[in-house]
Amino acid sequence: MEEHELIARVRAGDGAAERVLYDAHVDRVYRLAYRMAGDDELAREFTQDTFVRAFERLASFRGEAKLSTWLHAIATSVVLNGLRKVKRFRRRETDLDDAAGVAAGRRAAEPDLKRRLAQAIDDLPHGYRTVFVMHDVEGYTHEEIGAALGVETGTSKAQLSRARARLRESLADFAGEWVS
Amino acid sequence: MTDERFERRLVEAAQDYHRPPATPREEMWLRIAATRAARRRRAAAWRPVLRWGMGIAALLALGIGIGRWSANASRPGATTATAPTPDRTSAFVYRLAAAQYLTRTETLLTGFRTESRAGARPPTGQFAMQARDLLCTTRLMLDSPAGRDVRLKSLLEDLELVLAQIAQLPATGEREDLQSINQGLDQRSVLLRLRTANPAGPGSPRVQGVL
Repeated sequence: MEEHELIARVRAGDGAAERVLYDAHVDRVYRLAYRMAGDDELAREFTQDTFVRAFERLASFRGEAKLSTWLHAIATSVVLNGLRKVKRFRRRETDLDDAAGVAAGRRAAEPDLKRRLAQAIDDLPHGYRTVFVMHDVEGYTHEEIGAALGVETGTSKAQLSRARARLRESLADFAGEWVS
Repeated sequence: MTDERFERRLVEAAQDYHRPPATPREEMWLRIAATRAARRRRAAAWRPVLRWGMGIAALLALGIGIGRWSANASRPGATTATAPTPDRTSAFVYRLAAAQYLTRTETLLTGFRTESRAGARPPTGQFAMQARDLLCTTRLMLDSPAGRDVRLKSLLEDLELVLAQIAQLPATGEREDLQSINQGLDQRSVLLRLRTANPAGPGSPRVQGVL
């Protein structure tokens, strides 16, 4: 089925067409949400929210971009806003833990390369991490990232380059292990 | 290590970063369907309230029309043999419209406060739509004889501000925005004044003390 035909059927309230649209895009949306959140419950919540919003707003989709681009713009907005809220909440929790002197040990203390890499990615500034995960981990193009985040393609490229440089710095002591 | 080699190793190693499990398609689809069905039910429940708004606006327009007609009829030179009847009718219509408007506004604000304080994300889109509808009526009320009552005028002006804030809420309904509206409601005792102005809602015996 052509995309415009699918959209028209969804707009007309065709439940089967809604499911087709969902099946076509859910994997990529869920994968991105999971990569960004690192938590299954959050990833499910963000994915569900993305599709609920998409179905509600499909009437306003003008077809200037591809449906997948439009859908991923919604998904990244849902994920980034959701993560900001989670971060605020966790920061409050951490403050309480620190006050009680029960802070847990940090992952940085663990010598394993993959754990160090995960920690280094987690520690990247918000924008760098988003672009790095989208491009280097999930394989989005800079054009797709630019459209989803509402930034220029050049900005996406620059942020990826800075993200890689930061990771290289963070993992400098593992350079030998990577060469071998 | 060269940049190219480092990047290649980085991309390889990063594939394990938050590696997603298989997509739980069915579970998520069921939850999406349930959420959308709940939203549709809620929207359907609010529809009669919107119809009330139309009714109130129509009543106000009728009141204004009768008021203007009676004012013209009582001008010097005009025939005034049976003037008192329209005045009384007009006053009654204003009171009825005011009572209905205040009841609807109270319902909206109470619902808004309850939902936004419950911790869940309130349906800001629906609240915003109703607030926009009520804003039109608020303006009509301020321009009507009801606006000559000093206490009611002050209440209407505060309601206009709160309704404008709700009407401009984004669909995402950030918690800070909701808190700011609730603080405004508390600081100006809007709900208390609203309930005092309209103690028992609309209806013929209740209309007595409205204005």
